[in-house]
Amino acid sequence: MLELLQRMQARLDASPHMLRLGRLISETVLLRVDGDEYYLVFDKGHLAEVVPGPSRKTPWRFAITTDSEALREFWKAHPKPGFHDIFGLVTIGRAKIEGDILAMVKNLRFFKEFLALPREEALA
Amino acid sequence: MTFEPITGRYLTVEVAGAPRRIYVEEAGQGRPVLCLHTAGADTMQWRHLMNDAEVTKHHRLIAFDMPWHGKSLPPKGFETEEYRLTTELYIETVLAVADGLGLERPILAGCSMGGRIALQLAALHGDRFSGFIAIEASDFQQSWYDIDWFHRPDAHGGEMGAALVSANISPYAPAEERWNTLWMFMSSGPGVFRGDLWFYTRDESLIDRLGQIDTARTPVHILVGAYDLTCTPEDAKRTAAAIPGATVSVMDELGHFPMSEHPAGFRPFFVDALARMQAPVVAD
Repeated sequence: MLELLQRMQARLDASPHMLRLGRLISETVLLRVDGDEYYLVFDKGHLAEVVPGPSRKTPWRFAITTDSEALREFWKAHPKPGFHDIFGLVTIGRAKIEGDILAMVKNLRFFKEFLALPREEALA
Repeated sequence: MTFEPITGRYLTVEVAGAPRRIYVEEAGQGRPVLCLHTAGADTMQWRHLMNDAEVTKHHRLIAFDMPWHGKSLPPKGFETEEYRLTTELYIETVLAVADGLGLERPILAGCSMGGRIALQLAALHGDRFSGFIAIEASDFQQSWYDIDWFHRPDAHGGEMGAALVSANISPYAPAEERWNTLWMFMSSGPGVFRGDLWFYTRDESLIDRLGQIDTARTPVHILVGAYDLTCTPEDAKRTAAAIPGATVSVMDELGHFPMSEHPAGFRPFFVDALARMQAPVVAD
């Protein structure tokens, strides 16, 4: 997962439109996958750091908790219904979002496109 | 240079005791089909079907922008008004436009909130129409989002709304039409999507009215996309089951905005729905 997140980090840096969308975003997002924690530290639209957890000292703005099997389906070019969107994963009970959800919603296109970056690899 | 066959004009009708300047598009000839757009969008959602010569050969497709949407102005004094669509206001608007256009028992085709009001009209004013194509339509379901997200001074409601509703677009939708669909939400007026959702997420009155719908006089066909998180196939099937004689089709590769997000995928379902709008002969 860490390696994949690092690939997403590089892909984000190579996506000018996403850096433009995210230019005001400097937040830490906690991603939990199969119980493993990853702190995604965004700085002005760049993913500055991916810090594996657990950590009790790292504050985060919002957290997304899911599982690797759900993400594998989510990242397919044509996921099954419900697996095609992060809110879909939430509605089918395969993900939950905690914390300041409004911070996510205000920048929803950026965070959705970031989370879907491996789907572009699937399409490639 | 070739113009599209769609023509657009403006019509002023009275709604809630005051004039509303309504933008109306149409194409084709034959049996009229009045088309209603979704929340937070406008008539552009119908342009593919209106440009489809086979569809318009025997059907006159008419779509209009609801007040506050697209090229229809909000009412005078809107600057101090909180826009909240209601069932009553929506019904009055649709009937006023149908009357203003002199339509005689058109088919009513509506998507999402347009599908919800189509079913309300089927229950309360079924005699005014000759059939109902209710797309992504259901009795009622709780929202999985907070409608107040979409109208706030510190963020762009349209961009948030577009990012949210992208959850309802099928991964099979062509990218160009996905983004054209989202553009309508991005460009909607401040508070308009929220005001539409006020109607869509809070009014449960349709549930008790479904049994009143007389499909022997006016057929009801419900279409629902498998990728629709807002009105799921389960929601649509539950709704159809409560309307004696209603039929439902699940569109496996489509989402909540089928005529807009994936025109080619939706076309056969819409053509089939039109064919179902032949009411059985009822002796008076």
